[in-house]
Amino acid sequence: MVIIRIIDLWKNYGEDGSGAPALCGTNLDIHKGEIIALFGKSGSGKSTLFNLIAGLDRPTKGRIEVEGRDLEDLGEKGRTLLRRTKLGFIFQFFNLLPTLTAFENVFLSLELADRSKPELALKALRDVGLEGKEQRFPNELSGGEQQRVAIARAIVKNPSIILADEPTGNLDTSTGNQILDLLTRSCRESGTTLMMATHSPLTCHYATRILRMVDGVITEETSCEEISH
Amino acid sequence: MKIVTKSFLRYLPRRLSLSLLQLMGVACGVAAVVGMTLSAQTALKSFGKAIEFLRGKATHSIQRPVGPMEENHLVSLSRDPAVEWFSPVIDRQLSLKQAGQVRLLGIDPFLDRTLRPEIARVEWLGNKADATENLINFLTDERAVFLDHRLKEEIGITTEKTLETSKGSLLVKGSFPNPSGEPLMIMDIGHAQKLYQLQGLIDRVDLILSDEPGFLSRWSKGFLIQSSRQRSETFSGMLQAFRLNLEALSLLALFVGVFLIYNTAMFTVISRRRDAGILRSLGAKRFEIFMAFLFELLILGSVGGALGGWIGFLLTKLLTGLIGTSISSLYFFLQPEPVVWSIWILMIGILLGCSASLLGGIIPLIELIRINPVQALSGRAGSRKSSRRAKKVALIGLLILWVSLFLFFLPGSHVYVGFAGVFGFVLSASLLTGVILLMLHPFLRKILVLLGGLPGKVAAGTIKQNLGRTGVAIAAFMISLSMSIGLGAMIGSFRQSLIWWMDTQIRGDLYIGKILEAEVPEDFFEELQKIEGLGGIHPYRNVQTLYQDTSINISAVDAKVLEKYARFGWLEGGNENWEPVKQGGVIISESFSRRFGVKTGDTITLEGRQGPVEFKVGAIFYDYTTEHGLVMMDRSTYIKTFGDRTLNNIGIFIDHDHPRKSELIQEVRKRAKARGLPVLTGAQLQQEILEVFDTTFAITRSMRVIAIIVAFFGIAGALLTLFIERSREFGIYRALGFSTDQVAKMTLMEGLGMGIVSFILSVGVGTVLAILLIKVINIRSFNWTIFYSPALKPYLVTGVTAILASIGAAIYPIWRVYRTYPQIQIREE
Repeated sequence: MVIIRIIDLWKNYGEDGSGAPALCGTNLDIHKGEIIALFGKSGSGKSTLFNLIAGLDRPTKGRIEVEGRDLEDLGEKGRTLLRRTKLGFIFQFFNLLPTLTAFENVFLSLELADRSKPELALKALRDVGLEGKEQRFPNELSGGEQQRVAIARAIVKNPSIILADEPTGNLDTSTGNQILDLLTRSCRESGTTLMMATHSPLTCHYATRILRMVDGVITEETSCEEISH
Repeated sequence: MKIVTKSFLRYLPRRLSLSLLQLMGVACGVAAVVGMTLSAQTALKSFGKAIEFLRGKATHSIQRPVGPMEENHLVSLSRDPAVEWFSPVIDRQLSLKQAGQVRLLGIDPFLDRTLRPEIARVEWLGNKADATENLINFLTDERAVFLDHRLKEEIGITTEKTLETSKGSLLVKGSFPNPSGEPLMIMDIGHAQKLYQLQGLIDRVDLILSDEPGFLSRWSKGFLIQSSRQRSETFSGMLQAFRLNLEALSLLALFVGVFLIYNTAMFTVISRRRDAGILRSLGAKRFEIFMAFLFELLILGSVGGALGGWIGFLLTKLLTGLIGTSISSLYFFLQPEPVVWSIWILMIGILLGCSASLLGGIIPLIELIRINPVQALSGRAGSRKSSRRAKKVALIGLLILWVSLFLFFLPGSHVYVGFAGVFGFVLSASLLTGVILLMLHPFLRKILVLLGGLPGKVAAGTIKQNLGRTGVAIAAFMISLSMSIGLGAMIGSFRQSLIWWMDTQIRGDLYIGKILEAEVPEDFFEELQKIEGLGGIHPYRNVQTLYQDTSINISAVDAKVLEKYARFGWLEGGNENWEPVKQGGVIISESFSRRFGVKTGDTITLEGRQGPVEFKVGAIFYDYTTEHGLVMMDRSTYIKTFGDRTLNNIGIFIDHDHPRKSELIQEVRKRAKARGLPVLTGAQLQQEILEVFDTTFAITRSMRVIAIIVAFFGIAGALLTLFIERSREFGIYRALGFSTDQVAKMTLMEGLGMGIVSFILSVGVGTVLAILLIKVINIRSFNWTIFYSPALKPYLVTGVTAILASIGAAIYPIWRVYRTYPQIQIREE
């Protein structure tokens, strides 16, 4: 089952869309439960693609369908609702709200999805190995712990899709591995589609499908070896 | 509470120092408005209460249009069928050694108790048991007086006691309740006549009339009859310009306050951009972010407003006194009651704080909900966008400037239109700040590099790069400094004009008598005329009357003496303007001319003792004694018209080269002293006038200080926000080899840079503001011309204030730099 369909997607920078292109006619089908590693250098258009899939940004041309519905047809309200219920976001710099505790950061996701059950947030934190650290603020946590909170925040609402933009980009190799292991395991168990933007070959081993993005165009890759070249 | 809201509110305790600064900004803005408005209202309310109390149950009053009336009219009045009750009054002022000036009412205790029953409720200080004996003592002892309770307590009188006054010693026999709060002294009318040498004369008669038209038909000729409502309106009308001035100051305070709150809200928005981006990426609706931020703004507004209400209340202690003194000096003797604390002051503060927060926060709020989450998550908006935005804002500024110019040139428009124009100009100047800052940047960079080397260079860049933050703070600070320069230059020019005017009119060697309280006996004038060698003896009378139902002043002078010794400033012509005065015409002040649209050659009609009299206007002269208008005529014309021979003052002129000049001066002094009359030299009189002037502008000066304090919090908030926002950058600078001292210096240079730019801008804006206040506002509200005299002082004072305030604002962030080191790291919060 195709969960995300991208058809002839273009995105040009600049207010009137006449600037340099970030995406040049990308086409892509993503199926439910896939774990995708999207490789590409900085500025290749990975983050732009994620922002478009999440409905945070609008394409210059082309279409994105999530669970069969065109994002453009959903309107602002529909796209917001999509982010609340169907999409989880994980960022390179964690993007936790600094004024909320680990628990509150996770609970926020539930509250927005209208499922305000504290036990779910506590369970999510327990699942990512942060039991006992629920009341700590982000600045009292290590980088790896902060990313675990971000993962818990993404998985707690049981979304259909998780978009992880450089989830290990700010972590050391060992912590990065732990995070990737945790994230992919969690997605596999729940059947969540995971899309990871990365330029670290490490991610490749956790993915079921590998994509490469060069100058705004996506190509399929067959193995991790190709990525290292 | 929703977590979204909680995430915003947590910033308040988390960034406590910044929250406190923001809170103080709101509080100061609100305090300025509450303090000024409440003081003005209290003073004006006390004024109204005093008028009401003095009026009592009287429905009307009758008096001569000018000067005292003869008491023999009382018999006819008592027989008039329309008069239900009457009470003759002597209404004067008196100086007490222990309590300054008070109002002295001379009344008939038996007649007056029907009109003013409060006064009759006397508490005796002597033998309290025998009221009849006390009353007889009061009626027979010609120095006996009653004081109101508050005055009695203020002086500390518990038993019968002698008081030293400008009219000799008086004996306090008792006290009475006075709800008006105006210090009041009561005397038997017969004794008051003697005290003021008004035998056979009274100031007015308060009446209860049953048939107004009938009474008017019998008494109109030669008398001024006013209903109580008319009388109140006349008094209130006197304060119109003054009230307007206070309202404008309150509005100005509100403007600065709202600006500062906008400043505060803008900083909050900037510091919440990233959070708003995260929240949007997680699926938070715009409305939820809007509500969370609104809630935060309202909390700041409520707490700051409550605090501002309380500080404003404390401010009223100072301002009410200042306003009372100004009203007393200029219009009507008044000692306003102190403002009483009420929970409503707090409520008003909260309401103001919240309203101003909403008003100031509306644009930042819109910006926050329109935030692009992708941009917000990728970091701050670039400087290119800031400069583009600055240009857009400048275009709006230019548009407002054009509207303001249109308002200034609108012919014959009301002073409120003038005020709207001034506010428009100030607003446009603040909107143009961003673009001007960009234009001035190369120059600022040079100065900061010169002062601070590399940290100065980085600081200059920071100010430009963070235009969104620094631009608003600079604009707020610039407005305050412009107000300081504008008001300072306006007051300075007014003072210079006043000095010039005094030099044209107050040229005598000696002045005998005080206009407000001490009248000079006519026989003393005659006595002086017998002294040989005096060049000119100038009898002066100044009295208030009505013209076209509004209060004006009439002065009686000796045209020949003034022609010889004074150098009047005429709108047209020179000393030949005295000719028509000598022939029975009048000259009018500029304020009279502008107020009533009367020009040279026109005819005005004044109500004389024998009915209306027409006078031809011979010339118009510059005058700053009263904004209500002054008609000047020769003493002979005055006596013929009004039959009033009272003298307020005598001026003595002696030729400069007279060989016996000092001997003559001594002789006049000796004779005046023998009569107990106060004597001032020309220089002393000028000094007294300048003191009154300075007192009058004490409120305006205090507003300047408040504006600077408000702006100080603005710039301190901006610096602290920059510091908090850029702690990661500081870490990078440290990594690149900057020492902590250099990072601290960078912060200092940022503060100084903002102060320098604000000052440079304020020089231009403040000068234009001064010119607008002088050429538009003053003429429209006071009807007189102030000559703009450029002076360095307001600029120097403001420049020093700007530098000190910006350095002061940087102290706390600098302290934080030293305190935070070495924790400043290159990492996210």
